[in-house]
Amino acid sequence: MEIKTVNLTKVYRLGSSMITAVNKVNFEVDEAKFIAVVGPSGSGKTTLLNLIGLNDYPTSGEIFIDDKDASLLSGSERRKIRLLRMGFVFQTFNLMPTLNALENVELPMALAGKPQREQREKALRLLGAVGLGKRLFHRPKELSMGEMQRVAIARALANNPEIIIADEPTGELDSKTAEEIISLLFEINRKEKTAVIVATHDEKIVRLADAIYTIQDGELRLKG
Amino acid sequence: MVCLRNLLRRKARTTLCIAGIALAVMSTVTITATTTSYTTAIRGMNTLFTGDILVVSKSQIVLQALPISGGNLIETIEEEVKGIPEVEATVPLLFVFSTELRGTLEMVPINITVGTPPGNWTVLTGSTPLRAGGKWPSMNAVDEIVIGSCLADVHDIAVNSTIKIKGHDLTVRGVLDTRSAILGRTIIMPLKTAQEIYHYPMTVSMIVVKPEEGVNVEEVADRIEGKLNNPVERIKALTSDQRNSLIDPLLDEVNMWNLGISIVFFVTSVTIVTLVAMINVSERRRDFATLDALGASFTSKVLMVLTEIGFIGLLGSVIGIFLGVIATVIIISFYTYIPIQMVFFDIFSAVPPLLLAETVIYMVTASCVAGLIPAITVARTSIADILKAEY
Repeated sequence: MEIKTVNLTKVYRLGSSMITAVNKVNFEVDEAKFIAVVGPSGSGKTTLLNLIGLNDYPTSGEIFIDDKDASLLSGSERRKIRLLRMGFVFQTFNLMPTLNALENVELPMALAGKPQREQREKALRLLGAVGLGKRLFHRPKELSMGEMQRVAIARALANNPEIIIADEPTGELDSKTAEEIISLLFEINRKEKTAVIVATHDEKIVRLADAIYTIQDGELRLKG
Repeated sequence: MVCLRNLLRRKARTTLCIAGIALAVMSTVTITATTTSYTTAIRGMNTLFTGDILVVSKSQIVLQALPISGGNLIETIEEEVKGIPEVEATVPLLFVFSTELRGTLEMVPINITVGTPPGNWTVLTGSTPLRAGGKWPSMNAVDEIVIGSCLADVHDIAVNSTIKIKGHDLTVRGVLDTRSAILGRTIIMPLKTAQEIYHYPMTVSMIVVKPEEGVNVEEVADRIEGKLNNPVERIKALTSDQRNSLIDPLLDEVNMWNLGISIVFFVTSVTIVTLVAMINVSERRRDFATLDALGASFTSKVLMVLTEIGFIGLLGSVIGIFLGVIATVIIISFYTYIPIQMVFFDIFSAVPPLLLAETVIYMVTASCVAGLIPAITVARTSIADILKAEY
């Protein structure tokens, strides 16, 4: 999957003032790259990832998915791209609290209408791969934060996405767990040839990324 | 699965919501079923005398076909009524309410004793059969009676057993095989016996007048009143329409109140569901936003909320119906003195299956409608909205 943005801009109205969260961003994601977007809180990282992940609409500018203008996509088409071609990892994990680890991983496959047996087999394999083979039937509240993020990563991989969009995936984790999660994301990127975009403060991610972008006041710059 | 798990996650709230709906449904079912039973029973009293004229004392209050309060008539009036050309037949009846029975009957039930000349039983009972082994008293019998099934069951009275009423030994020749609230509590005996036992010599409560075929019933009633009214005996002759016109406005009003109360309960339960749906979905905006980010369709998210709400409505209405049926049975049994098990046998005449089905359908539909706005609102939540609010 190739994602390209052209002068991507997002402006929020906050009371009487206007805040430019993303300002004329030109950005490109090639297949199987590991990209880090680094910036302080409020710099526009999350907004940029939401726009790229088709979870939000830009105020101006374009997003191209495989050279197709995303603004021309219907809501249903955007939803299908999110469901089948993208995987999301959130800072606060966003697992369904009433479902256990296995069911959380099965969820995207269920939404994609895959057979129950296939869902179960894939979920078991993914949870095994992220080291949670013995925590299958635990609910999120029974898991540690690191385990929850592993479940979230397994969930993101459920429909074999071409890209994983991770918004501060280590933000809530201690350094040791954060390192494990970073290693996991790298492993996925290298083994599965899945592109990964990570918004982060984490220097370890920054050091290992194929490309590093910095974002400040909504403006994105290639750092290295 | 997510929906039902969520209901279990908030057990107390789900239970309260289901209880609220169950209470509303129970009240609706109970009120509707009991009032319907009573209005049906009251209307049903008239069916045996349809087309007939009831001659009663002017001071008598007649509830449909039952003379419930007021003066009686001198028995000889029957001969005068018979003398009117358009009258085909007459049957005198003596009604005695709430009689205290002693002897074999240890309890003091509310019952109705009806005295009528032997041979005229069917005026009262229509085609109601007698239970196996029973027979109608012979024409010249004085101490033989027929009783209703309810009295027989409550007091365990068998055919050919003897009971004592006010010192008189009476043989039960038959038991009416009926579930009618009135006939089930009726003791039918020869008129002379009733007059003697209850000390109403030469007295009757009413005379049932069967007009000849083809004649104008209103005119016959007017003729009876014209002929029999005099300074000594003041009577009134009531046709079916006149009897109905006395009670129908009252029954219609009861039904209106019934409908009004049902609507109030219905609206209350829908409000409960809406509030709970609002609270449930507002707490789970993040979950729905995550589903949106993962690619869940708008319809699937709306259906999730509606399934939860519909399930609450379904479970609440089923429990409410169950409780409503029990409450109805207890109320009917209490007020009619029909044993609970007998009311249960005949439960679907008191609580029609159609009413139950309608209640479930209305409640589930109303729950879904009530949950629609919260469902649509939450289904539109995107992860960008949630994260924007958080950061």
